[in-house]
Amino acid sequence: MNDRINSSNNVINTTNSTTPQDLGLQFLEMVRFGLCDTDDDDESPTELNTINSSGGFLFVATDKLSIKYTNVNLHDHDVGVIQANKPAPVKRLVYYFEIHVKNAGAKGQIAIGFTTDRFKVRRQPGWEPNSCGYHGDDGLLYRGVGKKEPFGPTYTSDDTVGAGINYASGELFFTKNGIVVGAVEKDIKGPLFPTIAVHSQNEEVQVNFGQKPFAFDLKVLEAQERMKQQATVEKLSLPSNVSYRIVRSYLEHYGYEDTLRAFDMACESTVPPICITQETASDNMYALNQRRTLRQLIRKGEIDAALGKLNEWYPQIVQDEKSATSLLLHCQKFIELVRVGALKEAVKFGRNHLAKFYDLPGFQDLVQDTVALLAYERPQESPVGYLLEDKQREILADAVNAMVLSTNPNVKDLQSCLHPYLERLLRQLTACCLVRRSFNGDEGEAFQLDRVFDSSKNVSANA
Amino acid sequence: MSLFWIVIRQFAENEAMATSKKVITREEWEKKLNDVKIRKEDMNKLVMNFLVTEGYVDAAEKFRMESGAEPEIDLATITDRMAVKKAVQCGNVEDAIEKVNDLNPEILDTNPQLFFHLQQQRLIELIRNGKVEEALEFAQEELAPRGEENQSFLEELERTVALLAFEDVSNCPVRDLLDISQRLKTASEVNAAILTSQSHEKDPKLPSLLKMLMWAQDQLDEKAAYPRINDLSTAMLEDPPI
Repeated sequence: MNDRINSSNNVINTTNSTTPQDLGLQFLEMVRFGLCDTDDDDESPTELNTINSSGGFLFVATDKLSIKYTNVNLHDHDVGVIQANKPAPVKRLVYYFEIHVKNAGAKGQIAIGFTTDRFKVRRQPGWEPNSCGYHGDDGLLYRGVGKKEPFGPTYTSDDTVGAGINYASGELFFTKNGIVVGAVEKDIKGPLFPTIAVHSQNEEVQVNFGQKPFAFDLKVLEAQERMKQQATVEKLSLPSNVSYRIVRSYLEHYGYEDTLRAFDMACESTVPPICITQETASDNMYALNQRRTLRQLIRKGEIDAALGKLNEWYPQIVQDEKSATSLLLHCQKFIELVRVGALKEAVKFGRNHLAKFYDLPGFQDLVQDTVALLAYERPQESPVGYLLEDKQREILADAVNAMVLSTNPNVKDLQSCLHPYLERLLRQLTACCLVRRSFNGDEGEAFQLDRVFDSSKNVSANA
Repeated sequence: MSLFWIVIRQFAENEAMATSKKVITREEWEKKLNDVKIRKEDMNKLVMNFLVTEGYVDAAEKFRMESGAEPEIDLATITDRMAVKKAVQCGNVEDAIEKVNDLNPEILDTNPQLFFHLQQQRLIELIRNGKVEEALEFAQEELAPRGEENQSFLEELERTVALLAFEDVSNCPVRDLLDISQRLKTASEVNAAILTSQSHEKDPKLPSLLKMLMWAQDQLDEKAAYPRINDLSTAMLEDPPI
């Protein structure tokens, strides 16, 4: 399947011959896999690393989340220090973890901070180069050999202390009992391991890598960081009515004709009127009404009628009976038959119209899934039930729409049949953010469209 | 090409070389773009959000039918909101205030600034219509007491009453108050307050995203030369300067 799609990508970019390119291939991918989430899931620490800890000085509980200093400390090189099993993830806005001091022991020489993979165990975080630690007994922040500075309050038994990396501001920050104590520039390079240390008898600390709710409200900090960026962005000004133009071209592109008419009418009657109709006599208006009709038929599941119209209006689209577009149409027809329970008819149709796709490279999977619908008494609940969702009709409708657009003799670039302006702008935005982050050691949060909707929910919930 | 542009171009090239910016070719960039997957349902949501927030109730209804996208609030509330907005835009401020209170009396109760601006707009409309006596009475009875509570209200009140001092208002220093833009400003303030009262954001998301695109491109400019989109309304990719 992939072979076929990849090779078609090349074709699409190069030529525009008289027979329409089979843009349906682009949609085939969506049918079976949907769109995979591009979530930046780099792994987070989950527990303490018992392999490189300073064994002998500390005891690690079996859950690998609690440590206790079991010795009597004699000098500066017998610290009970332990790192997390993984470094802090970087592809996000903020990383954060917490410790709860169960027992401050004899001297309360507890520390929390970050170290690199080359950190020398048996030393406090912050005493060595490339490490940083907030110490409980004096409240100082240690940042490398001989570097210490007044930072925050001391902490002791029953306090909850947190350490975090704010990738947006490039800072390390620390909290005590849910309140930010302070922040310093993050000047350590490389993967940073959450690190905790105990250094006097009976000191006992429990670490929370997010398996339990934090005392500190991370969501608020994240929202603040996003708001800061938003405030910078909002200062920019846009060309007038550009949003209207982009919305309008989106409606044109997908053939949402009724919406387009209503939108145009509303724009003209606003005070002052927004005139964008005349200036954009674009190619997107091409075959608008026919595209609308085809979409409506497909959305209603009337595939035969859609095929009939296509034969009448754009025979060149359906003449290649072995194209991906043709496959999508015929699979949908089969799906609609199964949906209404016309199984006998479906079998007959399958034999006559789907079997021939079976041998074509890349098509087999979809044909197999489609025919498999017959195997289940309740196909909706089966592993191939996804085929019965409205989304599939939508994908077919978009594929047909793209094919019709590509028959426009004025089309110079087939990409424009596939992607509306809005999509191209959002891709550009995403790509810019990703590439910029790659220049920055992959640190920080990339843009993700679906989060735009999530964040608004949070905001209104907090408001 | 004029000498000016040649110099400018040379300058730009030198600058690019001096900072040794990485150059990303069109081909490389297009590959990156192709790797980005944007879900159609998210784009539909964006468009629906725009239609709903801007108050295009008919278009939103049609879009729901044509695309299957669900609006984030009850479309009926848009109609009420737009009626209020329209009333202010047409100068029927009294009517607008009544409609807001029908919708949710808390909106004006909890928003003294908005209420003042509506009353101010009412005063402006009275003056516009030459109802001098009524305007004076309204200013003294309704607006002055509020001005006493708040210095900025008082200043705005004085500025508005100044309209009465000029025979030819079309040429006076406070003539902007009579401009259509003043009505639009007040109308959009009411609109935003109603949206907020419905736990809805007062601005659509699309313009923010477009600004974010401009910002992201500028940010990346500092690190690399790459194909930019300079004209948002055509989404045309332009080759990097080399």
